[in-house]
This record gives sequence, C-alpha cells and structure tokens, in this order.
Amino acid sequence: MHSYALRVNTAVTLAIMVLAVLCSFVSLSDHFHASSPHVHLEVLSIDAFQRQKAGNDEVWLTLNISADFSSVFSWNTKQLFIFVAAEYVTPKNVVNQVSLWDAILVSKNHAKFSIKTRNKYSFVDQGNNLRGSDFNLTMYWHVMPLTGAMYTEKQVFSGFRLPTE
Amino acid sequence: MNWEGQKLVEELMQYLLLASALISFSTGFGFSSVKLMFLIYASGALLTLLITVPDWPFYNRRPLVWLDAKVAEASNSRLLKAKVAAQQKASKTMKK
Repeated sequence: MHSYALRVNTAVTLAIMVLAVLCSFVSLSDHFHASSPHVHLEVLSIDAFQRQKAGNDEVWLTLNISADFSSVFSWNTKQLFIFVAAEYVTPKNVVNQVSLWDAILVSKNHAKFSIKTRNKYSFVDQGNNLRGSDFNLTMYWHVMPLTGAMYTEKQVFSGFRLPTE
Repeated sequence: MNWEGQKLVEELMQYLLLASALISFSTGFGFSSVKLMFLIYASGALLTLLITVPDWPFYNRRPLVWLDAKVAEASNSRLLKAKVAAQQKASKTMKK
C-alpha cells in the first residue's frame, strides 16, 4: 500500500470482487420472488388449410392471446421474451414444435395484454400430418434478468383439433 | 505514507467498500431498482478511491522515527549475536 499504483490496483480489484458478490446476491434474491402469471390461449378460427407446392400442410389460424405477466417481473428482470408454440405428435416424430407468435415485454406496465392475431409465423408441417390432428398451444416465457442466469417457464393448453380438410 | 497510514488505508478500503455494498443492496432492493443499486455502489467505490488513493495528511500523523545510525549498528550487532547463539543452540539440540 506504499504507492499510488498499488492502492489503485488493490481498491479496484476489491471493488470488482465485491461487485461480483453483490450481483450474485441480486441473482439469488430472484429465487424468493414468487410469480403467478395468468395466461389464456384460444383458437378463434381456422382461416385456411392448404397444401404447399412442396406437399407440406400449412394452416392459418386466428388466436386470442391474453396474459398478465406483471407478477413475473422482479427487481432484477430486464425483459421477457414470450412465444406461443403449436405442439403436436406425428408417427415419425414425437416432438414437433412450431412457433406461431412472439413478443418482447420490456416493462411491468406493458405486461398485461389481450390481442386477437393471425399467426405471425407460418404454421407449416414437414409433411402432411396436420389434417385431423390434435395439437397443443404452449405459452413459453424466457425471463431475462439483469444479472444471473436466464430461465424459461411454460403453460400448456391442450385439446385443439385441426379439421380434416 | 507510513506504516500506520498503510494499515489504516487498507482497513478503510475494506470497510468503505463493504459498507457501500450493503447500503446499495438494501436501498436498491427497497426501491426495487437494480440500476439504483449499481449507481450507489459505483459512487461508493469512487468515494473509496478518492479517500484511499491520494496520500492525505492524516495518513502521516505518526511518522516513523528512525534510530540514530550508531544506535542502530549496536542493536544490529546485538541482534546478530543473539541470532548466532540461537542457531548454535538449535544445532546442538538437533544432534542430541
């Protein structure tokens, strides 16, 4: 501690170490944050069902998405990335997921919404397994914190059925 | 900066940083703002740098008093003798 350079070095090193500990405590505090988001997904109508030139099934539908994610925001939440995926089972593949719609929620004040929308991204199967099949709609939300690890949660809505033609 | 000052500066550095960490965490948590926590901690760290880096006069309040050259020599030779004696004693006990 006898020279300026040594004191600067020690002070800055210690300050950064304490900052790292502080950040981990902030991240730890998120474990005590209880969230109870309300999500509701429904299919209002199947608007079109077509076979693409390549032979793949494509569906256009209108969704009603209403959700209240404001309780998910803790003091350490930067933003939420939410997306709705259609999930179904085919004889060939057990897990098929197609992302239909997504959004980024940047603040607690904009975390409550209700919209009617066409699927933002096309709902296409690799083949023609969609006709008459059951599918789930799942709301996923990725919670992106300011410090710490990102985590994902989901809520599944099942029991939707596509028409046979 | 003398020995006492160096001891003081090290303690001050640790306590100031720890205190700013505690204050910033509790204030940030209270106001639910991580940004506020970072701002308070950053200002605490800057204050710590300002207090600990320059050689302020209060770090030199108890200057080191140097011994007179002759006194130092005498005490050095006494120390040297004592050290040699201790080593001899140690080697004897080792032989036993």
